Amino acid sequence: MSDTTPREGIDRRRFLTVLGVTGAGAAVVSGCSTERIEKLVPYLVQSEDQIPGVATWYASTCTECPAGCGLHVRTREGRAVKLEGNPEHPINAGRLCAHGQSALQGLYNPGRVAGPMARQADGSFKEITWDEAIAMLVQRLQGASGKLAVLNGAGRGSFTDLLKAWTEAQGGRHVRYQPFSYEPLREASRQTFGIAEVPRYDFGRANYIVSFGADFLDSGWISPVEHQRGFAQAHGYADGAMARHVMFAPRMSLTAMNADEWHASKPGTEAAIALAMANVLLTERSGNPPDANALRGTLAAYTPEKAQQETGVGAEVIRRVAREFASNRPGLAVAGGIASQHRGAVQTAAAVNLLNYVAGNVGDTVRFGADLDGGDAYGETLALQGALDRGEIQVILVHEANPVYSLPRATGFEAKFRKAAFKISTSLYLDETARLCDLLLPNHHALERWDDARPRRGVNGLLQPVMEPVFRTMATGDVLLRAAQKVGGALAHFNATGWEAYLKSQWLKVLGTEEAWRTALQHGGTYGETPTTPVRLANGTVVTPYRAAAFDGAPEGESFYLAPVPSVLGDGRFANRPWLLELSDPVTKITWHSWVEIHPDVARRLDLQEGEIVRLTSPHGSIEAPVYVYPGIHPEVVGVPLGHGHTSYGAFATGRGVNPLDLLDGADTSGFLPYFATRVILTKTRRWKQVAKTEGTTRQLGRGIADAMTLAQAKQGLSPALAAAGEAAGPHEENPQPEVEAIGGWRERQLQKRQKGEYANEHPMWGMVIDLARCTGCSACVTACYAENNIPFVGEDEILRGRELTWMRIERYWEGGEDGEPLEARVVPMLCQHCDAAPCEPVCPVYAAYHTADGLNGQVYNRCVGTRYCANNCPYKVRYFNWYAYSKAAFPEPLNLQLNPDVTVRARGIMEKCTFCIQRIRGAQNRARLEDRPLRDGDVITACAQACPSDAIVFGDMNDGSSRVTRLKADPRGYHILEDLNVRPAVTYLAKVLNRTEA
Amino acid sequence: MAAIAHEPSHPTQTHHEVTRDVVNTLGTAGKGYLLLLGAAVGLFLVGVGTFTMLLKDGLGLAGYVPPGFWSVYITTFVFWIGIGHAGTLISAILFLFRSPWRTAVYRATEVMTVFAVMTAGLFPIIHIGRQWFFYWLLPYPNQRWLWPNFKSPLIWDVFAISTYLTVSATFLCVGLVPDIAAARDLVRGWRAKLYSVFSLGWRGTDNEWRHYTRAYLYLAALATPLVLSVHSVVSWDFAMGLVPGWHGTIFAPYFVAGAIYSGVGMVLTLVIPLRKVLKLEHMITEYHFDNVAKLTLLTGSILFYAYGMEYFIAWYSGNPYEQTAFWRRALGPMWWGGWTMIICNAFVSQLFWFRKVRTNLTALFVLSIFINIGMWFERYVIIVSSLSNDFLPYAWGQMRPTWADWGILAGSFGWFSMWFLLFARTFPVVAIQEIKELIPMPRLRKGGH
Amino acid sequence: MARTIPGVLAAFEHIDAACDAIQALRAQGRRDFTVYSAAPNHELESALGISNSPVRLFTLIGGTAGIGAGIGMTFWMSLDWPLLVGGKPIATVPPYVVFMFELMVLLGALATVAGLVILAALKPTRGLAYDPRFSDDRIGIFVPSGGDDAAKLERMFREAGSVEVRHAA
Repeated sequence: MSDTTPREGIDRRRFLTVLGVTGAGAAVVSGCSTERIEKLVPYLVQSEDQIPGVATWYASTCTECPAGCGLHVRTREGRAVKLEGNPEHPINAGRLCAHGQSALQGLYNPGRVAGPMARQADGSFKEITWDEAIAMLVQRLQGASGKLAVLNGAGRGSFTDLLKAWTEAQGGRHVRYQPFSYEPLREASRQTFGIAEVPRYDFGRANYIVSFGADFLDSGWISPVEHQRGFAQAHGYADGAMARHVMFAPRMSLTAMNADEWHASKPGTEAAIALAMANVLLTERSGNPPDANALRGTLAAYTPEKAQQETGVGAEVIRRVAREFASNRPGLAVAGGIASQHRGAVQTAAAVNLLNYVAGNVGDTVRFGADLDGGDAYGETLALQGALDRGEIQVILVHEANPVYSLPRATGFEAKFRKAAFKISTSLYLDETARLCDLLLPNHHALERWDDARPRRGVNGLLQPVMEPVFRTMATGDVLLRAAQKVGGALAHFNATGWEAYLKSQWLKVLGTEEAWRTALQHGGTYGETPTTPVRLANGTVVTPYRAAAFDGAPEGESFYLAPVPSVLGDGRFANRPWLLELSDPVTKITWHSWVEIHPDVARRLDLQEGEIVRLTSPHGSIEAPVYVYPGIHPEVVGVPLGHGHTSYGAFATGRGVNPLDLLDGADTSGFLPYFATRVILTKTRRWKQVAKTEGTTRQLGRGIADAMTLAQAKQGLSPALAAAGEAAGPHEENPQPEVEAIGGWRERQLQKRQKGEYANEHPMWGMVIDLARCTGCSACVTACYAENNIPFVGEDEILRGRELTWMRIERYWEGGEDGEPLEARVVPMLCQHCDAAPCEPVCPVYAAYHTADGLNGQVYNRCVGTRYCANNCPYKVRYFNWYAYSKAAFPEPLNLQLNPDVTVRARGIMEKCTFCIQRIRGAQNRARLEDRPLRDGDVITACAQACPSDAIVFGDMNDGSSRVTRLKADPRGYHILEDLNVRPAVTYLAKVLNRTEA
Repeated sequence: MAAIAHEPSHPTQTHHEVTRDVVNTLGTAGKGYLLLLGAAVGLFLVGVGTFTMLLKDGLGLAGYVPPGFWSVYITTFVFWIGIGHAGTLISAILFLFRSPWRTAVYRATEVMTVFAVMTAGLFPIIHIGRQWFFYWLLPYPNQRWLWPNFKSPLIWDVFAISTYLTVSATFLCVGLVPDIAAARDLVRGWRAKLYSVFSLGWRGTDNEWRHYTRAYLYLAALATPLVLSVHSVVSWDFAMGLVPGWHGTIFAPYFVAGAIYSGVGMVLTLVIPLRKVLKLEHMITEYHFDNVAKLTLLTGSILFYAYGMEYFIAWYSGNPYEQTAFWRRALGPMWWGGWTMIICNAFVSQLFWFRKVRTNLTALFVLSIFINIGMWFERYVIIVSSLSNDFLPYAWGQMRPTWADWGILAGSFGWFSMWFLLFARTFPVVAIQEIKELIPMPRLRKGGH
Repeated sequence: MARTIPGVLAAFEHIDAACDAIQALRAQGRRDFTVYSAAPNHELESALGISNSPVRLFTLIGGTAGIGAGIGMTFWMSLDWPLLVGGKPIATVPPYVVFMFELMVLLGALATVAGLVILAALKPTRGLAYDPRFSDDRIGIFVPSGGDDAAKLERMFREAGSVEVRHAA
């Protein structure tokens, strides 16, 4: 926690207050304003929606990124303990990414601003009452006389409407701010189709996906969960068919890891490939748009050979991909995202639009009319900066934005910002921007307030308070309205009694009845069809003559292109959440700190080892971070993850890692912020820092851990073993049991001998199937597991000792990448396999590890003395030991309020591991018993399976012949990891399928 | 083993000299002795301090890096257990084999056994996560009627170690009684009182001897299979696990041989200085060391074979996990450990082919130190190196010992030496009555009977 | 010593002398004498005609009891609360052999020692005359007797070659 924030612990009384009042007031109809906090309703008076020990669920909407996924919030005794996707929601259909999951750690973050604060003469902050705070605000507004500006990072919705109207009513300037703006896409659409809109990509329908540097699976681009759902649907293997995914990009991102072909193109040249492909389609008559002839002429110059010179990608590859793209309709070509946000971004996006148009995908897999939310143009922010610089702004209010951090230092935003006489922040945390402000009016967290979101046409999400505010905060909507009343004048017509009332009135305008409003609340909003606007090629020249994107920074010395890499920390707003800091990066498996990705050849040339700290210098600044030697990056490029390097953002984020934006040139006139537009000079420092990776060795050593087979083999129905042996289709066994031949009926006799006590009765047999053809390695399941099972984070130092407690971890192995072989990534979610013949059980001297009657590998925490033999004997290494009292350190107040009451918080000196979410199993069984019905397939869903956006994880009863898990288990692709050990795991993996052109 | 004791020894002293010389070793201590004792206690306190920290903060202080869930503590545990075995071998097995050379040294080795096992017994407690619950490993009635898991090798350990400690302690005490009686009858003052208590009123009557000799024989007969079983059980702690590098049928004999090898090494390390300090040169002679060294040679050669066989089987089995494990044991990140163990054990032991080495005390002492180091590393390599690279490469990791590891290790040496030194000054470390058995009594008429 | 038994105590330096004396005593049909020696000695044993000690019975009983205890403990405790581990049978012999063996050794050893103590105690040495040198290098023979019988014995011992004869009273 930063020094100027007063430490706000939650004492018992306050905690009870939170409980009690929510007990009374969490009923959806009641608003939650901080005034009512003193009304303590004891549990003696039972509120109808609060049964101690029984969870209450609320529908809401996720505001962690502009995608606007639907939420189901699980609350216990009046506090939110788990976030899950809303199954009814058209965007995420019940799934949720790691960012969404981690909203809870934003809610309970110890770094939150505890209440309204004003800056003192000595520069420190002093807590004040809300009346004082609003009085100060009013006084300043009256003095501002139009010299008011608002920088608003909130998504589209009633609040933004209110804020805009409120600002403009005072003659102020309202600017929507999105760090990762989608300006290039919008501009390109305007150029190609004359419609300034971010297109909506339907990955689910595509049979062939070509990505031009677009990291649509990496965190935070347009709508990650929706994209991943679609991608899994298209690229996941089902009855002999799957889409092919080809990616042209300088770096192998998570998206490229999931591509069947990844071609490292020279930075800033993707457009050339797109144009060449369009050209091939046209010349070979495989694409026949209405205005083909005109285009054929304009595109004639862009031959694959020319593209090869530009990009370094072979002409034959381009030609082949183009033909495949044409013959697998509908295809989908994607561009955009920060990874390709160089000065040629618009041009690239335009070229890709053209390619989609030529291939006839526009209106099919590429749709317009959704009007996705993308914030205002970067130009607006630049203009505001100018105004600030010229001193035209007296009062500035920053809402849900942290420009001081997320704008390149070179823009000098900080200095300009300081020029404003009075600066107000509604930030929940004392971030870099808030720390410069004079008045802090901390907003409620999204789970504590009323709000709504309009991510796209047809989707209107509602947010409702699910619990009493943790801190002395106030919904900014209420602040605006109360201020408006006091200021009067132009603001007088903002006469709603409160923010909740205002919001409701806005909705009632559309919904009409109270009934409809309640229904909307229950379902987390209203969901209609998203309209599609038909588009045709804009008149005039649609092809801007190709030119390789310009990069600034002198190309002397050891000069590299700097690629800011999307990381789990997003644009930095997630850097104060331990779950995400400890979540190993899906690509590099690094946690807690920044790194510099360097190609092995370069590392060899410069004699750099992993962990050696290097300095990257651009004309605009320099940063230092340890090297990570990464085979998946173009030799001329170095990658640095975004989101690290905060100077003020709570105890977890501050002073951790470096911010690559410090190297960028912000004063750009491209109309957007080009992230990937700088060359840096690399110098060695001869200092070292051990890289905190969660991985030991990156190769499988041919142990068949992450198995894969070609599409052809999958079609033949080969088992992974046979596929690996490269045999043709023939008689093959589903699950070979090597010991059966060896010892005949011996095992069966053994099984008889164990039918004693509980084990003699009928029980379900819990099992899991994980489809590696769908799993992308996004790691949403890992965070879900942390949230559900009270897993403590251990911190960087312990990670260096390999002591993380990731019950569910994503193992990432590299294949190939040497002597000309294409680099291929394989990911395996690794969790307790709940073996039938578990090696961990018999070695426990005290029966702490034993087998439950329903086939679970039980771990009795209270009984465990910590001999750790079980962990030694576990071939999957999925047992984790509490070397220290981790849970003491990992849940500083108020983070402890998030703990799931159904799951033990583990003590020091004991072993813990995945339980197949036994608390959910028993819960479902009890519910079934109460409803006097048998347990149905799907009643029990583990946290990981529930979260998985790809639906790669399926859980169920293997004794129930009709259950989904039983059916999937029988898939020929099914295999057990380390099967030859004959431990009979309950987790079956379905081999990954590689859709490659057989050479 | 009988082969080792080819020629019987002929102690030259009279019965009275024997009693006198041995009893003279007891009582007031010299400077050197006190210095040693002080050092031992000092080390012991280091151990106590470290353990306190472990209790306070947790095992995290030690250098564990998963997948290495066991490391220095278990290594040291096996090391001390192993030390114990030579004692029982010499005192019990060689007794059954009637090899006279053991008499002069067996008491010292037996004492070593008892204290070594006592030391080892502490480690399972130190190493577990919740040390304060160690008694859950015992089958005692509790309110839940929950018993330990008899399928777990760790419970086998509990029984094997506690039995071993009890039986070897009993064996030692029974052997001591007549000697304490002898001492009792020679000294005056408080020690006379002490000894008359410990001698249990022993007088050496025909009746006493009648039962004593048989009882001693049966104890030896019971201790003999015990010593073989204990280290087999310890070896199964590993062999029962499926960690590559552990999962081998060779382990029981391999560990027993190793145990005796290390134990005999420790015997040399202890007896050579002891003999000087207690002035027993004329009782413990070159002849004895020669034989001890031959025992070392035998067990060392068995180890040599076992090492070779481990690598051969790893290669011959075609099991990729075993192959990787042993490849990395020799050339991986822990190569230094692997080679220390092979050089100090397999190769050093071969030097004992030469009589010159076997009978040169300085050489023996130096080599015995190597043997101790080598055998500690053998266990370290088997445990740490095998664990650090098992089935899933993603989970591999190399452990890095910390002060907490070394603190406990040092403490164990202090604890052991402390007890050994205290005993050596208080009770006879040479078996008086057994030596007398070897010395023919004077006769009136010349010519035997 | 509370009360001393009157008798003759002879000390010998020479083994053959001691054996002669013992044989002489046995020839006289005496059985109640006690022989002290610092170490067991075969010549003495043969002179005394010592038969095997019954201590082995204790060993046998202890050992057998140990095996029984091993079987009983493991099987009863396993079946008392059946818990399945590693898919192995609830109660099974191979792993339990370890306990049978260890308990056999343990109880066997303890029984042997118990036997030793009990059997030795059956012939108490309390009150018998004793000399510290018997635990050093002398062999002692004590014969409870009195009056002229004692004098006869003394003469006999001296002829046999005793270095010293005492009368305990």
